[in-house]
This record gives sequence, C-alpha cells and structure tokens, in this order.
Amino acid sequence: MSALVTVWKKEFRDAIRDKRSVFAAMSYAFFGPMLMAVAFFFLISQLTDQADVGIEIEGKEHAPQFVEFLNENGIVEKQGDWSENETPIILRLPESWSTKIADAEPVEVALNADWSSQKQQTDIKRVEKAVQAYSSQIASYRLILRGVDPRVVQPIQLQKQDVATKGSKAALIMGSVLVFIILSVFWSGMNVAIDISAGERERNSLEFLLSQPLSTWDIVTGKALTASTFSLFGAALSLIIIPIIFAYVPLHEIGMNVNFSVGMMLLMFLLLVPLAVFATALQLFVSFRAKNFKEAQTYISFLLIIPMAASFGVEFARLKNPILYYLPLTGQHQAFLSLIRGESINVMGTVISAIATLVAALLLIKYIARLLKSEKIVFGL
Amino acid sequence: MINVDKLSKTFKSVQALNSLSFQAKDGEITGLLGPNGAGKTTCLRIIYGLLQADEGKAEIEGVDANVNPMGARKNLGIFPDKFGLYERLTVREQVAYFAELHGLSGSAQKEAVSQVIKKLDIEELADRRTGGFSQGQRMKVALAQALVHSPKHLILDEPSRGLDVMSTRILRDVLREQRAQGTCILFSSHVMQEVAALCDRVVVMAAGKVAAEGTPEELCQMTGEEQLEDAFVKIIGTDEGIAA
Repeated sequence: MSALVTVWKKEFRDAIRDKRSVFAAMSYAFFGPMLMAVAFFFLISQLTDQADVGIEIEGKEHAPQFVEFLNENGIVEKQGDWSENETPIILRLPESWSTKIADAEPVEVALNADWSSQKQQTDIKRVEKAVQAYSSQIASYRLILRGVDPRVVQPIQLQKQDVATKGSKAALIMGSVLVFIILSVFWSGMNVAIDISAGERERNSLEFLLSQPLSTWDIVTGKALTASTFSLFGAALSLIIIPIIFAYVPLHEIGMNVNFSVGMMLLMFLLLVPLAVFATALQLFVSFRAKNFKEAQTYISFLLIIPMAASFGVEFARLKNPILYYLPLTGQHQAFLSLIRGESINVMGTVISAIATLVAALLLIKYIARLLKSEKIVFGL
Repeated sequence: MINVDKLSKTFKSVQALNSLSFQAKDGEITGLLGPNGAGKTTCLRIIYGLLQADEGKAEIEGVDANVNPMGARKNLGIFPDKFGLYERLTVREQVAYFAELHGLSGSAQKEAVSQVIKKLDIEELADRRTGGFSQGQRMKVALAQALVHSPKHLILDEPSRGLDVMSTRILRDVLREQRAQGTCILFSSHVMQEVAALCDRVVVMAAGKVAAEGTPEELCQMTGEEQLEDAFVKIIGTDEGIAA
C-alpha cells in the first residue's frame, strides 16, 4: 500500500513537470468547449434565420391590403440596391386590382425573377407561397359569402411533419456535449498514461523499477492513479468551462433551457471518477505493450473510438435497452442524459454501472500487473 | 551470499544458460567474465527475479527470487543492464524514490540519501534534474540508486561500460569500500583490466556454462599464461567477442 503511494507521488511529480502532459490535459478542456460553442452558435443562427425577404413591388398603391398581408408574412419592399450576383425579384400588381377583385375575376399578378438562381430560390418560394396564401384566403371568404363551406375545395390537407424539429436539434447539441464530457476523461490523461508506461520502457528505466522490492500491482495501480488524477483534472476543467461558455450560446432561441447547476456538475464529476480509472487502465493496458511512445500513441488513438462509438452509437441509433443503464460507459452516458434533461436518474443503474466500471478497471489493472511479470512483455522476447 | 545452482534457460531455440553453477561470497567481489552473448545478463536477471529459470535455482541468502521476489530483492542493490534515469526529477528526488521503495522514510531516508550522494561525490549535482547528464554522471546516479538502502548484496551488469578513467576509478573505489563493509558483490564484465584490478574471484562464462573459476592468478596458472587476457582466450577457446 505504501509502495503504491510512493509510486503515485513520484509519477505525479514527474508528470506535472512534463509540460506536454499538462498542456494536453488542459487544452482539451479549454479549446474543446470553445470550438463546440462556435459550432452551435452557427447552427442556432441558421436554424432561427427568418429574415425578411426584400423584393420590388410595382403598383402597390393599387392593393394596399395585399401589400400589408405580404409585410406581415415577411415580404417587404427592398431597401437599397440589388447586389451584382442577384437578379431583382419584382412583383407587378395591375391597376385593375380592386375592380377585378370586386367582380370576382382572376387578377393577373406577375412575378419577375430568376428561378435558376440557387441563392434566391427560397426567397422566390416564399413570395409564391405568400401570394397563394392570400389567394386562398380570398377564395375562402368568397365561398363563405355564397354559403359554401370552404373545406369542400380542400379535399386533401397535407400535414408536414418535419423531423428536424428544434427539439431534436437541441438533443443533438446536448448529446454532443455529453459525449464531449465523457471523452474528456479519456483524452486528458492519455499523454501521462503513455509517458509512464511506454515512455518508461523507452527511457530504459522499466527494468530497474521492476527489480525493486514492490509488487507489479503497486506499480501499475500507482501509475493508473497518476493518469486518472490528470484525466479527472481535465474533466473537472471541462465541467467548469462548459457552463461558462454555454452562457454565451443563445440556446433559448431554439427553445432550449439547460440549467447547469453546481449540484449537477458535482454529480457528473463523481460519476466520472470510476470512468477515469477505467479509461487509464485501458490506456495503460495498450501502451505497456508498445515499445515506445510513438507506437503507443498510434494504438491509443484507436482506443478513443470505443467511448465515441459507445456514446454516439447509443445517441443516434436511439438504442433503448435497459442493460445500457448498468454497463460501464453507457451507464454514465444514460445518467448524464437524464441529468441534462432534468429527469430523475436511474439510481440503481447508475450505482451498478459505477461499480461495474470500477471492477472492470481493477481487473484490467490486475491483468496488466500479471503481464509485467511476464518476460515476454517486459523484454519483448 | 549469492548461490547459483544448475541454472538453465532457453529462449526459443537459443540456449542462454546451460546448467550454470557458481557462488559469490560475502565480503568478496566476484566477477562474471564472458564474451558478448555468453549469458551474463540473463544470469543476473534470473538472480533478481526478472526472468524465470527453466531449471535450477538462484538464491540470495537462501531466498529464491523466482519464488519470493520481494524477499530476495529487499537486501539487494542492482545496477541493471539498462539504467534509464527520470530526467524530470533531480538526483536527490530520484535516489529518495528508490530509498522509499525499499522502505526508508522520514529522517532515515533523508540521511541515507545525503550519505550516498556524499559517498559518490555528486553533491553539486544533487539538486539538478538528470536530463542532459554525461554518461559518467548518469552512472553515479544509477550507483547511488543501487546503494542508497545499504544492501548486503550488490549486482552490477557491466557497470564500467562507456566510462572515462576518472569515473572508472570512482566506481572501483566505491566497490572496494562496499567490499570492506562485508557486501557480497557480483558484477559482470567483458573488460579484462577491470576484472583483473578488482575481482577476488572470477567466474569465466562461455555459452551459458562455467568455463573456469578461481582468482585471476589461479586462472593464469591454470592455463600457463602470464596475462589474464590470454588465459581467458585459452579458457573459452576463441577470441570472439572480447574487448581488451
């Protein structure tokens, strides 16, 4: 036990002096949320973009009511000149508007535009739609005046059900935040984990350490705790920075209201502790088998796919299997999902998954400790 | 005392040790002399329990490191084949780390660390990080790590490789001093002068076996040669892999 603490203390002091390790642990927490916030910023502004369409309306004095209707629907008189790569959109209202309306004769309204222009297509469509909407409104009035139910001329009503609702976009955003938080424990301790295993071998100090009077279990556990300390440091930093940055992202514009309370963050951190030990155990397992730093780095980047696949996979495949609550990684993910949605969490599942994660990590450490007794692994024979 | 009894070890198709037996006594410096590839490092690694012997046993004070590695290493100082240093730690921190792993703590640890640093005359290096140290300086730090817990047994794997005259002399002085304190010292080498100058007894190894055993003088007498080097060549029957 005391040997374990000795190893932990020494490795920690060693790692904290390694600028690369410290920077790796912090950079993820700093730049990650910022990048995500920028991405969301654009996503949200795109989602909520309903700027008015500016067009030219000729003869608007003939139909003031129609023009007012257009304005209400976001189609307004163009201010300023058309830019070079735009073709003017012109709506021409005839002089005979009011008389023809009164006589219930069709009014010919001309829409002059370039339908082949990709950029202006949505604008043109909106003008068309608005004109048609006004037209069917008048039709309805006329039918009612003649004692006919306007529904007889609408035999089919198409109901558009857009799957890309704001709600699902919001879920997408929060889902990626969760994956980001979970990945932080994998990412932040990675450099340390490689340095104290493959790095130790590369620097030729492994043989001497292994021939000291301490068990390989103490060595591996001490090293795993060092790397876990770093990964939890990165996770804590992410958890602190995310709410700060997200305060600047206009989430409310897409109808989202996420409340990052201190209690919730603490709970998340607590749930990340066993996951951090598990993550570093996995990384040590891989990089103790590598001959040097570079090789370990290559293997470990493949390892990052596991948490990504587990969390994104569940997220997008919309898996709903109760076992997900109890497994390592998916258990934490499910608990986070409930937390962020403001639902009550599955306490039993969360506790069991935390224990399962810890047990898996300890078994893995035990296995690495056994590997380090094998001359094949130690000397690469 | 280190007792090696009929050790055999095979790596795939290569027989590294073939029923190797010898003893290293307390208060003596025993040299394990052999050409490259004779099995010196393999033998030493089995003694401190990093490799498992296929047959036979190696005991330190009656404790077999293959059976009870913790017990065997408790009283053992090791200067390994590869001695990498922790380049981000200072000499003092490094030596203290290994002192702590041997169970020294508090003021006893501090005392032991200062003493070994003084003994090796590296006081002005003590609070520098070891990154960028010369080969001689690195050797001294590695030796300090091996000696800090005042072990009863010392195993050194080619300690003089890459050292200049001054560093070699310091190494010899330290080993003689340890011998005077009754330490059992076993070291491997393929350098003749080294062995002739230092060893009380020489075990000549070739192809995983003991080829001859005795004091340097005895070996010379045995072969009728004046120089240990010539005796050595005669004993192993080839001059392959010998450095002067």
